[in-house]
Amino acid sequence: MNASTPAAGPGPLVDPSADLTASEVERYSRHIIIPEIGVVGQRRLKNARVLVIGAGGLGSPVLLYLAAAGVGTIGIVDDDVVDLSNLQRQVIHRVSNVGLSKLESASAAVAELNQLVTTRRHDVRLDSTNALAIFADYDLILDGSDNFATRYLVSDAAAILGKPCVWGSIYRFDGQVSVFWEKYGPTYRDLYPEAPPAESVSTCGEGGVFGMLCGVIGATMVSEAVKLITGVGRTLIGRVLVFNALDASWREIAVHKDPTSEPITALDDYEAFCGTSLRRPLAADDNVTSQELAAMLERRGHGQCDFDLIDVRETGEHELVAIPGSRHIPLGRILSGAALPDIPRDREMILYCKAGSRSAEALSALREHGYTGVKHLTGGVLSWISEIEPSAPRY
Amino acid sequence: MVDNAVIGNEEPGILVRYFAAAADATGLDEERIVLADDTLGGLRNELLARYGDPMERVLRSGSFLLDGIVSRDPDRALGERVDVLPPFAGG
Repeated sequence: MNASTPAAGPGPLVDPSADLTASEVERYSRHIIIPEIGVVGQRRLKNARVLVIGAGGLGSPVLLYLAAAGVGTIGIVDDDVVDLSNLQRQVIHRVSNVGLSKLESASAAVAELNQLVTTRRHDVRLDSTNALAIFADYDLILDGSDNFATRYLVSDAAAILGKPCVWGSIYRFDGQVSVFWEKYGPTYRDLYPEAPPAESVSTCGEGGVFGMLCGVIGATMVSEAVKLITGVGRTLIGRVLVFNALDASWREIAVHKDPTSEPITALDDYEAFCGTSLRRPLAADDNVTSQELAAMLERRGHGQCDFDLIDVRETGEHELVAIPGSRHIPLGRILSGAALPDIPRDREMILYCKAGSRSAEALSALREHGYTGVKHLTGGVLSWISEIEPSAPRY
Repeated sequence: MVDNAVIGNEEPGILVRYFAAAADATGLDEERIVLADDTLGGLRNELLARYGDPMERVLRSGSFLLDGIVSRDPDRALGERVDVLPPFAGG
């Protein structure tokens, strides 16, 4: 059953550059002496323009391997800042760059590794208004973004422009990697036609991620990129590899185009498609600031008021850092209703999570169950740490 | 290369393979299931009956790939193999 392998492979994606210099031949010799790559393959790499979405967990090894392999032009899209909690897995960034933009930190690392590579920085949040224009200048897109809205956007924009997209994603101990190229095989929409319900999605920031997965999946993404550029081997078009680090297993899933799906002709409103823009329109008086909470806790300590402070995050997060005097009821138990018997209806309550979105969701759910005296902490425990308890660990 | 090797025509039932959170929900990589109702809806009901809440969470957003083609149509007839794959977007 070889239906997943296109009858005629796409062939090399990029034409060879002019001749290599002597120092380039020396630098890339370990690739050049592999017959399948050779001088011509290396010249294709030199001529290639590759765009990397996200300079985070996957983007880190991806950028380093692309630069080391001598990909001539590397574009980076990222609008985030290096945070101490990134360094557990985002191996391109250094502790000296905490607080700097990831764009600056990553492009400096690329320049230090290979001065022959041209980097282009795209300091934007990728969206429907800018994606096609940015992608147009590149041969190939590598998607290491961290949310569903961007995943659909990247895959659709690549499909519209007829460009291949190397896709990788990670969560906890699992990784997935594939190549989407609409001309030759399926896209992200053929794998996941519908965005998951926003409330059912956990991010790596909430659920955690096994750091080394970034290297495993990121290196596999660049292997595919180099194969596409040079036209060697059998790519992951029509196949998804699924890696499980606990099991140390790779498994393969064949994916074909969904014959019933409409062709992708225009970009969508991805925040709406993923339900992320519709998140919980709450009124201002549903919110409590860190300063207000600190004052309320002080009054509670003196018996001048009474309320429950409830942490709706996961157990690991609660153990990592929690606001003193809070008790722990994970969001899932509130949404499923399992925790409701433990939540009295006649008490005032303040909910909090990491940054405020899960607590808002818990608040909406409790309202639907008829609870009235519920508020939530704006900006979550991160805001509490910034404003009230700066010595507590951030994550 | 599991892909082809495990499909033995003489074995009864449909090969159902579980990935990521679906494997966590079942504690299995794969199994053969014999169904009275040989449709995607029939399989869905069987999985919910066998694995309860954790499977319900997986199926809320997970994909069924029927011999490599994604489907959400409960009336779709099953072929030889179904892959159950939940999405995640971390990077």
